[in-house]
Amino acid sequence: MKVLLSIICLLYCISVPANTILIGAKQNVRSLKEGITQAQFGDTLRVMPGIYREGNIILEKSLVILGENFPVLDGENKYEILTIHAHDVVIKGITFINTGVASMTDLAAIKANGCRNIRVINNRFENTFFGIYFANSSHSWVEENRLQSNAEAEHQIANGIHMWKCSSMTVRNNIIKGHRDGIYFEFVTNSLITNNHSEGNLRYGLHFMFSHNDEYRHNEFVNNGAGVAVMYTKGVKMIDNTFDRNWGSAAYGLLLKDIRDSFVTRNKFTQNSVGIFMEGSSRIAFKENTFSANGYAVRLQASCDDNVFERNNFSANTFDLVTNGTLTLNKVNSNYWDKYEGYDLNNDTVGDVPYRPVSMYSMIVEQVPTAVLLWRSFLVYLMDRTEKAIPAITPENLKDDSPSMKPYDFLHSHY
Amino acid sequence: MKTIFTTLLIGLILAACDVKPEPLVMGKDACHTCKMTLVDDKFGAEIITKKGKVYKFDDLNCAINFYNSGIEPKENISTCMAAVYNNPKQLLTVTQAFYCQSDLVKSPMGGNVATFSNKDDLEKFAREWKGKTFTWNELLEQFK
Repeated sequence: MKVLLSIICLLYCISVPANTILIGAKQNVRSLKEGITQAQFGDTLRVMPGIYREGNIILEKSLVILGENFPVLDGENKYEILTIHAHDVVIKGITFINTGVASMTDLAAIKANGCRNIRVINNRFENTFFGIYFANSSHSWVEENRLQSNAEAEHQIANGIHMWKCSSMTVRNNIIKGHRDGIYFEFVTNSLITNNHSEGNLRYGLHFMFSHNDEYRHNEFVNNGAGVAVMYTKGVKMIDNTFDRNWGSAAYGLLLKDIRDSFVTRNKFTQNSVGIFMEGSSRIAFKENTFSANGYAVRLQASCDDNVFERNNFSANTFDLVTNGTLTLNKVNSNYWDKYEGYDLNNDTVGDVPYRPVSMYSMIVEQVPTAVLLWRSFLVYLMDRTEKAIPAITPENLKDDSPSMKPYDFLHSHY
Repeated sequence: MKTIFTTLLIGLILAACDVKPEPLVMGKDACHTCKMTLVDDKFGAEIITKKGKVYKFDDLNCAINFYNSGIEPKENISTCMAAVYNNPKQLLTVTQAFYCQSDLVKSPMGGNVATFSNKDDLEKFAREWKGKTFTWNELLEQFK
């Protein structure tokens, strides 16, 4: 007993309580760099309001850095602002402005390389090249940040939240505007992207490459140059997201390229040039999504197989489903199509005749894109009608055998 | 009158058939292979067919993949061009260019190859970024 007590006593003496260091123009410690030099492992730095121009600040200790009323760290358009090479760091309540811009080195407002347990919470970023940049890191959180940039040409601006070779990351409740890609993931696994708002970015709202077993849900991707791209990845869950107003000749609400074994559930695609464009993708379940007022709801390239479209709502799209081959290995079942003209004699809310979502003219447009000029002309209408009666060009097997007579109400239904 | 008209018409047809490169428009054009929008003007390539159709790419390895894929048969291809790394507005016929691959160069699709118009630039760059130099034919082998 006595031994135990003395051990506890000894431990208590060894563990020095963490200090708080105040930093500000009127404090003893005037700069963040000085504060970091003085601080011990686990200390807290409280940064008072003011503008700090300290060039590149390098952090190699586990510290908590808290901003009081958003002090400003200014990179003077020359420097990377904060470089972290430590585990267990919290950065909260700070405004980062004006990082440098470089074509060969990736300058960021906050860069963490080889780190674990980093929390970047409730910060603001204005006019930064890269906003938050993680490489070779894991188990970190990026939450409640607001990033805004507005460079004119794309090669002068980089990604808002950029992650490369990371795992177990959480990106939550951030607002990202005016970057090249809002959120960029390359070789990032087992991570969660949720409740973010990504708007007006020059290329993609969210860009995924080689990032397996991730999940993104409840995000809004609005008016980005080319929508959202998910590429060369398996095991992605895309749930409850909104893809809105992504317009342009190479813009897609969601671009899926070489994706396997994934889920696209309960998303809303509204007013995009193309709701979903998919190529080389297989075994994806598309369920309970809403496609409305898109140019193309779904462009399914012939290189896709074993995908299932079930219980989705298609309404007011120019083309519901377009494909470029006659052999199709995908299933389309129990969806609601506003263009369905069949009947339901036995009143079971399921149409009695199959619906063929691929119109003949869309097959022609797929080969000769300029032919879309004649769309909605009388001749095209006649051709489509004839094709509906005697299918010749459209894929015979691509049909919905049990189309729903009414749109599904996903707000009030549960599994 | 008739002759003038015919000459004009023939001229128009010939002009329409002209096979020439188109500039790569950043933020607007998309790569034919990977579908990504072009954003990095230091990299990029295009393949032009004998009929004048232009395929654009964001990275040399996307262009080579397409070249080898047979989507457009090789006998139909007129020229292949690559964007010059240190002068991005310039497009160069691939056989006349010099190439350097280095993992420190980050191209959009991981080809990581920079293109140069002359040997001096190439060697200077290769020394600085610890790169390996290639000719077009060697590059075709590399990305096979």
